[in-house]
Amino acid sequence: MSLLRVSGLTKEFGDLTAVDDVSFDIEDGEFVSILGPSGSGKSTVLRMVAGFEEPTEGEISLDDVEIVGSPPFERDVNMVFQDLALFPHLTVAENIGYGLKQSGVPADERRERTERMLEMVRLEGYGDRAPAELSGGEQQRVALARALVNEPALVLFDEPLSSLDRKLRQHMQSELQRIQLETDTTFLYVTHDQEVALAVSDRLVVLDDGEIQQVGTVEELYEAPASRFVADFIGDVNAVEGRVTAVDDGTIGLDVGDGEVSVPRDAAVEELAVDDAVDVCIRPFLMRAEPAESDRDAVDDANETFSTTGVVRSRSYQGSDSLYGIETDRWGRLSAEVRSASFDVDDRVAIAWDAADVHVYRREGGAPPSEDGGA
Amino acid sequence: MARSPRSDDERSAESGKRLAADGGSVSDADGRLSDLTSFFRERPRLRTLAIAGPPYGLLVFFFAIPLLAMLVVSFQTDQIGGAWTLGNYVDFLTSETYLTVVWRTFLLSVQVTAIVAGVGYALAYSIVRFSRRTTLLLLLVILPFWTSYIIRMYAWINILQSDGVLDSILNLVGLPALSLLYTETAVLIGFTYVWLPLAVLPFYASLTNLDADLIEASKDLGAGPIRTFLSVTLPMTINGVVTGVVLVFIPTFGSFITPRLLGGTNNVMIGMVIENQFKSAFNWPFGAAIGMVISVVVVALLVLATRLGGGLFGTGGETS
Repeated sequence: MSLLRVSGLTKEFGDLTAVDDVSFDIEDGEFVSILGPSGSGKSTVLRMVAGFEEPTEGEISLDDVEIVGSPPFERDVNMVFQDLALFPHLTVAENIGYGLKQSGVPADERRERTERMLEMVRLEGYGDRAPAELSGGEQQRVALARALVNEPALVLFDEPLSSLDRKLRQHMQSELQRIQLETDTTFLYVTHDQEVALAVSDRLVVLDDGEIQQVGTVEELYEAPASRFVADFIGDVNAVEGRVTAVDDGTIGLDVGDGEVSVPRDAAVEELAVDDAVDVCIRPFLMRAEPAESDRDAVDDANETFSTTGVVRSRSYQGSDSLYGIETDRWGRLSAEVRSASFDVDDRVAIAWDAADVHVYRREGGAPPSEDGGA
Repeated sequence: MARSPRSDDERSAESGKRLAADGGSVSDADGRLSDLTSFFRERPRLRTLAIAGPPYGLLVFFFAIPLLAMLVVSFQTDQIGGAWTLGNYVDFLTSETYLTVVWRTFLLSVQVTAIVAGVGYALAYSIVRFSRRTTLLLLLVILPFWTSYIIRMYAWINILQSDGVLDSILNLVGLPALSLLYTETAVLIGFTYVWLPLAVLPFYASLTNLDADLIEASKDLGAGPIRTFLSVTLPMTINGVVTGVVLVFIPTFGSFITPRLLGGTNNVMIGMVIENQFKSAFNWPFGAAIGMVISVVVVALLVLATRLGGGLFGTGGETS
């Protein structure tokens, strides 16, 4: 049985449909993220679960009890707000003990549980300070402790880490994971930051324009994105325009400019027909590159490999890898992430990738192809 | 004002020349303006004086000196310029009649302040929380200020008097007439009407600064609307509340026009007594003494109230 079950959730603000028929489940003890760009409706979903917005349609059940219609203060759910919303007129300990006080926990027990929470988030001895005296990271911990101390069935996060610098954010991510395991609580985390979402979540719900794009584990989403949007949004991706020339049991034939390649049938998640315009997507790290010998294609132009030559236009060093922006002769600008080779700007290179590694999506009418492959 | 040691002028002339030499093409007005700014930039103390001087000067001339004069006069017999005496204070503080008036004034001021604070807070809250026409509503709130206070009071006489507007309306719907004019209720109505905008503005200011997320956080943590109001909304806006309360309480305690026009002779307030000493009885020293005592009492009450407010709500007084 799922802890949280969201089904057919829809929210309209006037003419605008912010959330459109969203359904997903969360199991007890899971860490699930709702990932989407700003305006995708992800915060609205969270606010409906918390009780701050009433859905236009749909159901939300927590522990098999319908919670739509009950006010936020009656829901067994606590939220960590984007700007944390710590009470500035209360001390850290009073902030953490606020929820316990509301539910009538006696002062002794309140003090003890607050103390235990301060320990859990590693803020022992900070109880008497005002929130304003704490650093950003410390305030995050207080907000987390304030939500967790009530031992809610579900903790909601509305992008609380987005204001932190990268290093601190990464540290807080691992702290979140540790605390989630220690307290055995279910987390629902909303973010636009795919890096955070990939790092912390067991499963992801990808939202765009109010609609669910895909639900799955981090691996599923990264390795088999259900749509061009998901492929773009989760990790970098190159796209090459093509047209379907043949579809049979095992393969799809594609015309990709001057040349034909056949890719495995399961490279496409949707049914494709001959003459469909498609985007052929490939992750930069799955591309090979080597110095081109004169203008001749160095990689053999076999039927199951994409290959072209091009000129290195940009290079960004990323530790063990380098990311090259390459102006290709066949498909415009692509980016390739290459480990061993070392090229300079203006070098001619030959690049290639296997047909088995691509994903193919039908191109929506009128959508211009991505020139730089979303890098 | 302390201006013009000679060297200042000379130096300004010098810097003027230098600037003119630097920027030959600037227009005359620009040149003079930049002359002035550089003159003050080089003399930070003079600049501070130039900025702070006029308001402090005003305060000294129109507030400190008259207050001092009043203090001096209050220790004189009814022959100003004559002998010194404590008699005015003794007479006032031992007179049961006067002390009763002070007590009644205090009770009335507390009632007025409480009513205005309650209604004003609700009004400000509704403007902030439930309305999209904030500017228009605020404009309506302060609109009465554009009509003279006295005229508005006469309007209330018209409304409240026997067979006035209010009684006529009550009559129309078959209710008995109230004849409210010259009752304490009339005074309360008048004060509430006059001070309401004055309290709404600081309440509104503190409520707009209140982060709506804090209200949601409180509800999220299990507090219902009343608990949330008492433990978050009110403490977070206590500064505005104190400001509004002070703005209402002080002028009510000292006022004499509203109680005279709406309360008649049945509802004497201490402000009327003081006015009477100056304008009819021509006993300025006695009026000054009452004024001094009332000032001290009001200031003491306010200090007490502010302390109490701050104490009730922890560190709330220091936010915003």
